[in-house]
Amino acid sequence: MRPVLAISRRELESFFATPVGWLCLTGFSIIAGFFFAMMATEFSVQATQAAYNPYVAEQINLNDWLIQPFFANTAVILLLLSPALSMRLFAEDRKQRSLELLLSSPISSFQIVLGKFLGVMGFVTVMLATTLPLTAMLYWLGSPDNGTLLSCYLSTFFLAASFLSVGMLTSAMTENQIVALVTGFGVLLILWVLSWANTIAGPGLGDVLSGLSMLSHIDQLMKGLLHLKDAVYFLTFVGFFLFATTQRVEAYRWR
Amino acid sequence: MIEVSQLSKAYGRVTAISDVAFHVDQGEVVGFLGPNGAGKTTTMRILCGCIGATTGTVRIAGHDVLESPKQVKIEVGYLPEQPPLYETMVVRDYIIFAATIKGVANPEQAADRVISQVGLDREVGGQPAASRIIGHLSKGYKQRVGLAQALVHNPAVLVLDEPTSGLDPAQRREIRALLVDLARAENRTVILSTHVLAEVEAICDRVIVIRAGEIVAQDSIDKLRELAGSLTVEVSAPAPELTALLQKIEGVDAVETSDAIKFTVKTLGDVRAEVAKAAASHGLLSLHQEEGLEEIYLRLTGEAE
Repeated sequence: MRPVLAISRRELESFFATPVGWLCLTGFSIIAGFFFAMMATEFSVQATQAAYNPYVAEQINLNDWLIQPFFANTAVILLLLSPALSMRLFAEDRKQRSLELLLSSPISSFQIVLGKFLGVMGFVTVMLATTLPLTAMLYWLGSPDNGTLLSCYLSTFFLAASFLSVGMLTSAMTENQIVALVTGFGVLLILWVLSWANTIAGPGLGDVLSGLSMLSHIDQLMKGLLHLKDAVYFLTFVGFFLFATTQRVEAYRWR
Repeated sequence: MIEVSQLSKAYGRVTAISDVAFHVDQGEVVGFLGPNGAGKTTTMRILCGCIGATTGTVRIAGHDVLESPKQVKIEVGYLPEQPPLYETMVVRDYIIFAATIKGVANPEQAADRVISQVGLDREVGGQPAASRIIGHLSKGYKQRVGLAQALVHNPAVLVLDEPTSGLDPAQRREIRALLVDLARAENRTVILSTHVLAEVEAICDRVIVIRAGEIVAQDSIDKLRELAGSLTVEVSAPAPELTALLQKIEGVDAVETSDAIKFTVKTLGDVRAEVAKAAASHGLLSLHQEEGLEEIYLRLTGEAE
C-alpha cells in the first residue's frame, strides 16, 4: 500500500504545483459560491413571501429549496471540471516519459492506477472542502437536515469518482491532454444524459439505458436516501473504469 | 547475471529485434552499440520489464522477467535515454518518491545515500542541488537525478540507455567518471548503450553490437579489434616480392602498395605476428593496426558505406 499512497501523494501535490490545479480549485470555489449566493437569495425571497401564506410556508424548507439544488449544480460544475483534472494523469506521464519510472518499478499496473485515482480524488476532496464554509452558513441561518447534507456530499463524491474514473481511462488512451479532455467530456456527457433515452427508445431498451445513466442514480441520493442499488451502481461504475484503465496500462507493456 | 536468449520484439508488422541472445556476468560492464533504431532501447526496456518481448526469455539474477517481473525490477535500476523526471518536484522529494515505489525500507536514508553518491549534494546556485526543483537544473544534473532514481534501491544490475546523450563535453566527462565509480566500486553489473566509442573504451569490458535488430558482434574490445582490420607495414627498402608473401598468409584479404616500401594489408583476423614474420626478412621498420574501434563499429553496423 505504501507505493500506492506515495503515488497518490505525488499526484495530489502535483495539482498544487501546476496552474491547472489552482485554476480548477479557484474556478470551482467561485462558481459554487456564486450558485450558493443565488440560491440563498432566491430561498430568502420565497421564504419571505411564504410568511404570508401558511400553505406555501409548509412547502419551503432548506433541504428542498437550497441544499439539493446547490449540490445538483455542484455536480454539473464537477462534470465540466473533472476531465480537466483527469486529463494529465497518464497523458502527461507518457508525453514526458516519466511513466518509465512507474513501469520499471516493482509495482503492478493496478497500484499505479489506484495511486493516481486516489491522488485526484484527494484533490476533489479539497475542492469539496471549499464548500464547507457555505454549508456552515446553513447551520447559522437555519436547521438543515444532517442526513440530507451528508447524503448530498456522499452523492457528489460518488459522482466525482465516476467522472474521474472515466477521465482517467481517456487520459490513458492518449499522450495528448487535449484529446483526453475532449474525449472524457464527450463520454461523460453521453453517460449523463443516457436517462433521456427512455423517452425515445422502447420501454425495454429505454429502461436499460436509463439504468446506466448517472442521473437516474443520483436523484434519491440527493434527497438523503441511500439505496443499495445506487451504491452498487457507482462502485461498479468506478470499478469498471479502474479495471479498464489498468488493462490499458498493461497494454503499454504488450503493444 | 543477465541471460538473454532468442529475444524478439515486433511492434505490429515492424520487427524491432530478432533472435537477440547474449549474457552478462556479474560485475561486468558491457557496452551496447548500434545506430539509431537498431533495437538497443527496445532490448533495454525488455530487460527492465517495461515492455514484454514477443518471443524469447530474459533472466536476471536467476529470475525470469516474464514470470517474476517484481523480482527482476528489484534487481534492476533503469535510466532511460530521457530521464523519467517530474520537473515540478524537489530533487530529494523525487528520489524519496522513487525509493518508496521501489519498495525501499527507509526511503529518506536511501535518498540521502544516493544523493551524495551521485554528487547531488553539491551547491548549485547557492543551495545544494538536492534542494532544488528538478526543472531548474542543468541537463547534467538532471542526468544525475535520473541516475539517483536508478540507484536508490541499490540494484545489482544497472541498465543505462545513452546516459551521456545530449551533455556537453564537461558534463559528459563527469557522468562518465561517475559511471566508472558506480560500476567498479560496487562490483555492479552494468549494461549501457551509447554512440560515443571513447566512452565504451573507457568504461566497458565488453561490447555488444546490434544492427537492424540483430546482434552482429559481441566480444571484448581487443577481440573486436582483431575481428577485422587493416595493417600498415613499412620496410627499409623496396621489396616487390613481399606482396605475394603477405597474400599467402591465411587471414589476409588484400595487399596494396604503390612504392613497394609501404604496404596496406586488409585482414580478416589478427595476423600481426605472421605479417611481422614475413616482413622481418625484408627490413621491417614498422607495423601498426590502422583501423580503430570507430571504423570497426561503422563497418559492423553498415554505416561505413
